Order: sequence, then structure tokens, then C-alpha cells
Amino acid sequence: MTNAFWIVPLSSLVALGFAWIFFKELMRRSEGTDLMVTIAGRVRNGAMAYLSQQYKVMAAVFLLLAIVFGVLAFGFDLQSRLLPVGFITAGLFSGLAGFFGMKTATYASARTAQAASESLPAGLRVAFRSGAVMGLVVVGLGLLNISIWFVILSTIFRPEVPSGDTMLVITTTLLTFSMGASLQALFARVGGGIFTKAADVGADLVGKVEVGIPEDDPRNPATIADNVGDNVGDVAGMGADLYESYTGSIIAACALGAAAYMTNLDMQAKAVLFPLLISAFGIILSILGIYFVRTKDGANQKELMGALGRGINISSLLILIAAAIIVHLIGLENPWGLWGAVAAGLLTGMVIGKSTEYYTSASYKPTLTIASNAQTGHATVIISGVSVGMISTAIPAGAVVLGTALAFLFASGFDLQNMSLGLYGIGVAAVGMLSTLGITLGSDAYGPIADNAGGNAEMSLLGPEVRKRTDALDSLGNTTAATGKGFAIGSAALTALALLASYIEVLRAGLIKLDRAELQIGNGGPTLTSEATLTELMIFFEVTLLNPLVLMGIFLGSMMAFVFCGLTNNAVGRAAGRMVDEVRQQFKADPGILKGTSEPNYARCIAISTQGAQREMVLPALLALFLPIVVGLVMGAAGVMGLLVGSLATGFVLAIFLANSGGAWDNAKKYIEEGHFGGKGSDAHKAAVTGDTVGDPFKDTSGPSLNILIKLMSIVAIVMATVTLTYSLF
Amino acid sequence: MKLHLYLSLIPESLIVSMLPPEEFGYYLAVGTHQRSRGQAIFFEVDPDFTNDYFPLDAAKARCVPHKDGGPRRSVYASIYRVLENVPLEALRKLYLTTDDGRVLSLEPQPYQPEEGRQFHLYQELCPVTPIVVSRLGPIEFCHFITGPGQPLFLPRIVFCELKIGELALDPVHGRTDDLPYPNIAHLRDCLLEVQKKDQSTKSYVRNLIPQVIYRVIRNGFFIGDRNGFNYYPIPSLDALEKQHYAWWRSALMSSTR
Repeated sequence: MTNAFWIVPLSSLVALGFAWIFFKELMRRSEGTDLMVTIAGRVRNGAMAYLSQQYKVMAAVFLLLAIVFGVLAFGFDLQSRLLPVGFITAGLFSGLAGFFGMKTATYASARTAQAASESLPAGLRVAFRSGAVMGLVVVGLGLLNISIWFVILSTIFRPEVPSGDTMLVITTTLLTFSMGASLQALFARVGGGIFTKAADVGADLVGKVEVGIPEDDPRNPATIADNVGDNVGDVAGMGADLYESYTGSIIAACALGAAAYMTNLDMQAKAVLFPLLISAFGIILSILGIYFVRTKDGANQKELMGALGRGINISSLLILIAAAIIVHLIGLENPWGLWGAVAAGLLTGMVIGKSTEYYTSASYKPTLTIASNAQTGHATVIISGVSVGMISTAIPAGAVVLGTALAFLFASGFDLQNMSLGLYGIGVAAVGMLSTLGITLGSDAYGPIADNAGGNAEMSLLGPEVRKRTDALDSLGNTTAATGKGFAIGSAALTALALLASYIEVLRAGLIKLDRAELQIGNGGPTLTSEATLTELMIFFEVTLLNPLVLMGIFLGSMMAFVFCGLTNNAVGRAAGRMVDEVRQQFKADPGILKGTSEPNYARCIAISTQGAQREMVLPALLALFLPIVVGLVMGAAGVMGLLVGSLATGFVLAIFLANSGGAWDNAKKYIEEGHFGGKGSDAHKAAVTGDTVGDPFKDTSGPSLNILIKLMSIVAIVMATVTLTYSLF
Repeated sequence: MKLHLYLSLIPESLIVSMLPPEEFGYYLAVGTHQRSRGQAIFFEVDPDFTNDYFPLDAAKARCVPHKDGGPRRSVYASIYRVLENVPLEALRKLYLTTDDGRVLSLEPQPYQPEEGRQFHLYQELCPVTPIVVSRLGPIEFCHFITGPGQPLFLPRIVFCELKIGELALDPVHGRTDDLPYPNIAHLRDCLLEVQKKDQSTKSYVRNLIPQVIYRVIRNGFFIGDRNGFNYYPIPSLDALEKQHYAWWRSALMSSTR
């Protein structure tokens, strides 16, 4: 372990330190009037009640799986004996990140509204730095967890394998620990997605449609649950999703680096260190970028967006410079090639973000077309929204294809035969894309904070000038939330691609663990497992399109993406139905609620959304967890590879389609509400509301849940690789 | 309990109630069990007003508290030709109620005619409910509609003027972005028709569900006949946002469903 390694845990502590500074800075600010404090307290308590319930269920699931892993490790010797603990710590750290992020976000809403009463820049600063707490806690805890386990596995529990295999076994073991983060992400993203839309749809259906009360009206029993949902879905859910991508991509890149230099230990150590250092410097430069996010009073949307963009662009530019220095300082082979891979990853992320903005912002043609089509009715709104979503998959898919190709070619020195280095390049590209997560996640988490600040200002009946400012901040938040979703999907795709590439290395490590030091490949002589090329391993596992097991796996993977979406969409419908019943019941039981003379039972609605989310996520979660295991046991590694390819390829474009359709419908409705095509009350507006309602679970539940699906299935396959090798029928 | 008298425009009726105006508006909008919803627009009427056309004494006699002591919410005195039989002098404030029962009261004020405005869009609320385009200002329009010299006329009318944005200056090319009216092309045609001066008024929407999109009310509500004219101005946007925000938010919602 070189001295440079210690920069990694140090940078994670710096991230946590700055998160603490921003949190304290937030807490020093006034929360406003008594009513603002009360409303914020309700949202905070609701959010914590949800987290508490979720963590209880998760504790039981984690314990159960830890026992299963314990049996596999200690009873059958099929897993690392540290897996039960490593799996739990990964989940714990991810859960902690969600807890701190959501705690901060719920403290920030009233303070943002209060700061907005002073000035727009003050409101932006409070909201953005509060969002940055989430970003920094995620990267800080993620990198700290990796660092700690890296030290433990390299020193105290160093694997007893030939020295050339040590780093591969360490990194692939670390990769299996990621299952904890994946499981946490599953609960946070899928559960959070169901919670937020059940509350939102339930609140709107009764509040707006049946009773005719406005959004964020304190008389609506589900309004606090709706605000809680913004935090649960877009703060904790998004955070856990990106925590998984962040740690998964780093470890996958390390594993691919270890595999690429099995016979050159010095270069192997450097290849493992490189992704860690990129992430470490990414943290420092994200913090620097945060300080560049500022604006002037009375700024318009473009200027506000420019302020956020400035911070992110500066961080991205600096990480490119830093990567060039790092790669030369540590002395990696083909330094400019690897730098090119980092740049390819960063650019891929930026292109996907910009593409999302183009397809979902009312400043551009696609969303305007949907809004225009609203004039001809509900059906044309749906048709054009679906079409825009479908077409919007082209640029992100093209960006991933191009980014992957460039990363592969740059890292391999344009040698297509050098698959190991090429795949390492893809892993490094994923790390590059996520290197500035500290600030990009900050801008994502800013969205729900600004949204809640707007809700707080409305419910607290603050003056029109304040509401105008919180509306401006909220409007910016809608854009960052949409681009954040695009970024999350893109990073999930690149991470899953890196995990897919790692899967074959995990299989290699599994073979080594099972004492299969030599492999009989084709008609040639035996080949050392540790020295077999990736092509040889693919031949050994018969991963070829002519193998029906691979094709069957691809079909199953594609199907899984759609079934998972259908299940999560239906889950929202059922949970929202229960919310509708509850809100109706409360209005019926106490006429004083609508009159404003008595207070609704907010906690009951939060409990209903919480229970609905936990209950409804069981089936999709079980499917995502067990399908890779079943396919592995029945169809072997070839079938699993097909499954992962199918789910990744279909899940990625489906997620982009869902997120962009939903985002475009949402903004088309807002565009009409701003006074176009007839504005509020027009037939066009009614049609646009239909589109927005259809798009709600698309963009906030099913779409984001697919990120988890494509990563979770890869991680489950990785964790169960040795079991697949030992017990598969084929 | 004190008895109140209300002239409701949606639907046209004269109602005796024990509820004060705000509570009466809330009751009309959402009902006793809060299960119904809908706008209500009504005048408060002088409680001492009498007219043999209405069986007011009988209605007042029936308007007694419920057995549990609760106030009687509504006793309908009449549901036919009410407006023409309540003189303007008996009318007090006008109340606008949103779907969820928020109530805004409007005081009558003298109307200052505008100079040089070429087009007007009027939504008639009672006793008939078309939307019409006109070259006439509100007072002239009122006289035109209630003038006995016309082949078709009404004894009295309540209407409001709606915004038409740039169409007021340019019916052919004016932008209609924020106008929530159906069949805008027909609205343009109607404006061009009245521009030709062959006719001063033209029906744009013949029959409308009696609902007002409050956000497009241009200046306020008018009630009048050939002998009298009352004007109830709606507060400015600034005043609505600052002083009547709860009503205004609800009013914006009212027009979106």
C-alpha cells in the first residue's frame, strides 16, 4: 500500500468535514415564523418516521441475508468469510448517508424559505449548500467504507492466494460487499419512489380534483406526506442510488485494473490506486466547485442555472487537469489513454445531462411540441409524450456507446485484442463520470429542498415577493431534478457495464477460490486460470450468441425490465388508492378540516404511504434478487451474462424513456400554466394535466427504480458467482 | 338567529339562510357534508326587502334552527325569474366563492367608462349564460341587452367582462397564449364580425356551463337594466396576491378542473 493511498481516506474525511461545516452553517440560520417551524417540523418528523420504519424492515432483511451469507461462507466455503460483515457495513454507510442527507434537507426547507425572504442569492446558497451536504456525505462515506475495507483486506485479512491473485481477490471480495449498498438502494429508491408518488397522486386526486383545494394546502391531510415524499424519493432515494453507483464503479474499476495487470504487480497496484485517487481528488474539487455557486439578486432562470452549471463545470474541468497529473505521477502505462477514458466518462455524463435537459425543458422543441399537442386533446398529449420519450433515448444511448468505445480504445491503446485494458478503461470512465458526484448530487438534492421551501412558503402564507423567489428556486430545482435523473441513469448504465465486465473477473476469482488453477479451454492444452485472457474465459464459459442459454438470458433480462416497471407502476396505483381512501375518510369524519378549523391527521397519511411503500416493493424486490440466482443455478454463467446484458440494454433505454417522458409531460403542463396555449383552465391545460399524471410514476418511480434493477442484478450475480460455478445445471 | 337573504346566480334563486355570507358561500360550494363542490356567486340582499312575487314570509317562517340547535342553512324562496324581481337598490355586496368554499366579497363602486376600447368579451351569468363579443362598453351593453326596443331583450342582466389580451387590438394576429377559451378561431371571427359595424354584439359561445374562470375577469362584475347599473370591481392582481391570497390560490385552482 503506497503512501498515496492515504489521500483516499483523508479526502473522504475532508468531505465529511465540509458536510459538517455546511450543516452547521445551515443550522445557524433562522427557520422563520412559528408556522414555518411547525410545518417544517411535521415534514421532518414524517421523513424520520418513514426512515425509521424502513430501517426496521431493512435491519431484518440484512440480518437474514447476513445469516445466508454466513452459511455460504462458513458452511460451504463459497464466499469470503467477511462478506456478512462487509455487506452490512456497505448498507449501513449508505443508510447513514441517506439519514444525514434527509435530515439536512428537512432542516433546510424552512430555512431556505426564510433566506429567500432576505434575497434570492441567500435562498440559493442555503438550498444548494444543504443539497451539497447530501453529495458530500455520500462520497465521503462511500470512499471511507471502501478505504477501511481495503486496508483491512490488504493487511489483517489478506487473502491466502498467490501474490499475483491477491489484488484481484481483494477487489472482487470488495465488490461482493457492494451488495449491501445495492440492497439499501433498492429499499430507498423503489420504496421511496412508491412512497412519494402514492402521497403525491393521493393528495392530488382528492385535494385538487375532488375537493378543489390547491397544491401544498395545509387542509389536505396528504400534503405533508407529499412533502415528505419529495425528500424520501429525491434525496434519500437518489442518494442511495448514486452511492451504489459511486462505490460500485470505483470497486469495479479497481477489480478490472487488478485483472488487467495480473502478471505485473507494480503496475497492478497503480491500476487499482488510480480510480481511488480520481475519486479522492474529485471530492476536493467538488468542494471547490460548491464555492463557485452564487448568483445576484433578481437573477432569472438562465442566470440561476448558470450559477449551478458554473460550479459543476469548474469541478469537471479541474478533475480533468488533476487526472492528467495523477496518471503521470503514479506512473501508469498509457497515461494519456487512461486520461482519455476519464474524459470520455465525464463527457458521457455531461452529454446525458444536456440531452435530458433538451428533452424535458420547456425551453426546447420536444416539450413545446407536447404542450402544443395538448391543444388537440388528451390522446395527442400522451402520443407525443411517449414519442418524445422514445426518441430521447437516442442521444444517451449514443453517448454511452461512444463513451464506452472511446474509453475502451483509449485505455487499450487502440488495440482491440487488449480486452483487459479496454475494460479497465470502461471502469475508469464510469469513475470519471461520477468523480464530481459531490457537487452533482448536491445540485440534484437541491431540487426537493427548493420544492419543499416553496411548499413551506405557500403553507406559511409568506408574502408574494418571497413566494416569487421560492418559485424561481423551485423552478430551477425541477430542471436539476430532471437532469439529475438522467445523470443517475447514465451513471447506473456505465456502472452496470463495469460490473458486467467485472463479473467475468469475479468468476475467475471464484475458480481460483474453488482451487481450479487450470482450465481446459477448447482443444488446446490447459491454461492457468489466473493467466487466462478474457476471451479464453468467455470461451470457457461458452458466452457466445450461438449459445441458446445466452439468448434465453437476454430475453429474460429484457422482460425483467418491463415486468419490474409494470409492478412498480401498479404499486403506486394501489398505494395511492389507499391514500385516496384515507384522505376522503378524514374529510368525511371531520368537516372542520376543509373549513380550516381543525387539523388533519398528517401522520396517518405518512404511515399509509410508508406501509404502502414497504408492502408494495416486496414483489419487485424479490424478483430482482432471485432471478439472477435462479438463472445462475439453472443456466450457468452464460445464462447470467445474457440476463445481465438483456436487463442492462433494455433497462437503460427504458429508464431514459420513462424519465424523459415524465419530465417532458411535467414541464409541458407547467409551460401551459405559465400562460401559453390557453393557460390554466383551458382544454389544453386539462389535457396536459392528464399527461403529467401519467408521467408521474414514470419519472419518479419506475424510471429511477430501473437504475437499481440493472445494478442490483449485476451485484447479485457477482455475489452468487461461486454458487453459480458450483451448483449450476449447465 | 339573524336571517340573511341571498340572490344566488348559480343557479338563479332567492334563498333565506341563517348563515352569514362567508359561511353561506362555503356551504353552497361544498355542501353540508363537504361532498359536493362548485363555484357560487351570490348577492347579499337587504333582509327587509319584500316583493309580493316572492313568498318571503313563508320562507322566513320555515327558516328556523334545526332540532340540534344548528342554523338553518337554506330555505329557497324562489328559483324562477328572481333577478328581475329584486331591485338593484336591495342588493348589497357580491360574493365570489371558489370550488372549495373560499369567499371573496366585492363592494359596489361607481363605474368610470373607458375611452377607445374597440372590443369587449362579456360572460353573461344570469338569467342567460352565453359569452358574447361586443363593441359596446359595459353600460351600453347593459342598455342594449335590456332595452325594450330590441327584438330580444332581458329585463335585467348580470355579466362580467373577460380578458381578450392582444385580440383587443388585433383580432387577426393578436396572440392568444393565456386565453383559456374554446375555439379561439371562432372568437377571432366574432371579433371581426363586430368590427365590420354591421352588428354591435355577437354570440361567441351560445350555452355555457355556468362557471367563471376568475383569473380572466378583466375588471369586475356588472348588474343592470335600462334604469340602473351597478359595478363590482375585482381587486387588482397585486391586491389579490397580497390581501386575498388564500382566495386567489383557490380561484386559480377553481378554473383548472
